[in-house]
Amino acid sequence: MDESKKEEKIDRSDFMKATIVGVGGLIGIAYGLPAIAYVVGPAAKQEAGDWIELGSTSKIELNTPTLFKTVVETQTGWIKTQEEISAYVLTENGQDFTVLSNVCTHLGCRVRWIDDEDRFFCPCHNGAFSKTGTVIGGPPPRPLDRFENKVEDGILYIRRGG
Amino acid sequence: MLTTFGNWLDDRLGWKSVWEAIFLRKIPHVNWLYTLGSATLFVIINQAVTGILLTLYYVPTPDHAYDSVVYITTQLPMGWFIRGLHHWGASAMVVLVVLHMLRVFFYGAYKYPREVTWITGVLLFIITIGFGFTGYLLPWDQRAFWATTVGTRIIGVAPVIGDWMLRVARGGEDLSAVTLARFFGTHVWVLPATLLILVGIHLYLVIRNGISAVPGKDE
Repeated sequence: MDESKKEEKIDRSDFMKATIVGVGGLIGIAYGLPAIAYVVGPAAKQEAGDWIELGSTSKIELNTPTLFKTVVETQTGWIKTQEEISAYVLTENGQDFTVLSNVCTHLGCRVRWIDDEDRFFCPCHNGAFSKTGTVIGGPPPRPLDRFENKVEDGILYIRRGG
Repeated sequence: MLTTFGNWLDDRLGWKSVWEAIFLRKIPHVNWLYTLGSATLFVIINQAVTGILLTLYYVPTPDHAYDSVVYITTQLPMGWFIRGLHHWGASAMVVLVVLHMLRVFFYGAYKYPREVTWITGVLLFIITIGFGFTGYLLPWDQRAFWATTVGTRIIGVAPVIGDWMLRVARGGEDLSAVTLARFFGTHVWVLPATLLILVGIHLYLVIRNGISAVPGKDE
């Protein structure tokens, strides 16, 4: 028997080893992949960007940010919670609206419109924003976030999550 | 490369002799019934892996238990699969343990010098039943609630101390948040810890004493 023939022959022990490694690998994959999907699942899930009703546009003063509050139901895991969303609405002509998030872009505190000073102020680290949301003082790295919005039958809607 | 690393490690750990003792030990010529113990071990590992994964989402309180189980089963990717493996694995484990026990019993494999292996095996059987009993309550649905109501009532039938044991099992007069919490704690801490120790002893003895041959017709 020459060398090449010898290599072709698989004995019982080698066959068992290959089978154990093969079947073991398949079992590992059968557990591993579902386990990964199961663990990262909730992180991969995005909130649906549905429209939220803010309120009637007739209440909005021209050129002054007006605060709107609305309650939305959110589901985290198996728990439904009521979450209050606040947004400042600004309009120059009563037709085109800018809806600003009241969440400071620095570290997430809530900003407040101060009429006398003509600016948004964040009490946590003295961040200040102009009425259109641009940064005019303090540590915030970028302007206030804006919500996508639309008006239907005089009711202002914003899109959830931006 | 791998062999060099294996040798380097062996010089320090002596793992090769351990490997040989476990996987290259001499065994008599046996049949497929001798795989029931290994099959049980496989299911135990299945229960441990899927059980750990389930605890990532399951919450053992009356106001969340059922909802979190529904969430696992219907909302999470592969949640139904993980829970299914744990659910059916539980039944498979009881069946396999019983079959394994019957094989050992009818082959007389419990006799000298394997009595202690048998005794640890009997304890492992009881622990398996304990796993089944405590795990059954955890989904906190109607079936779980009433099955455990009945199951704990059986404890109460014992003479003299029955009523007291019933109260200990339930953590009070009725099934409550206390019952669910203690069943959960028992299911994921007390029983697994005990199982691990006993399986360790059981397997050590199987390897130390070797396995018995299939008895001959005239034995």
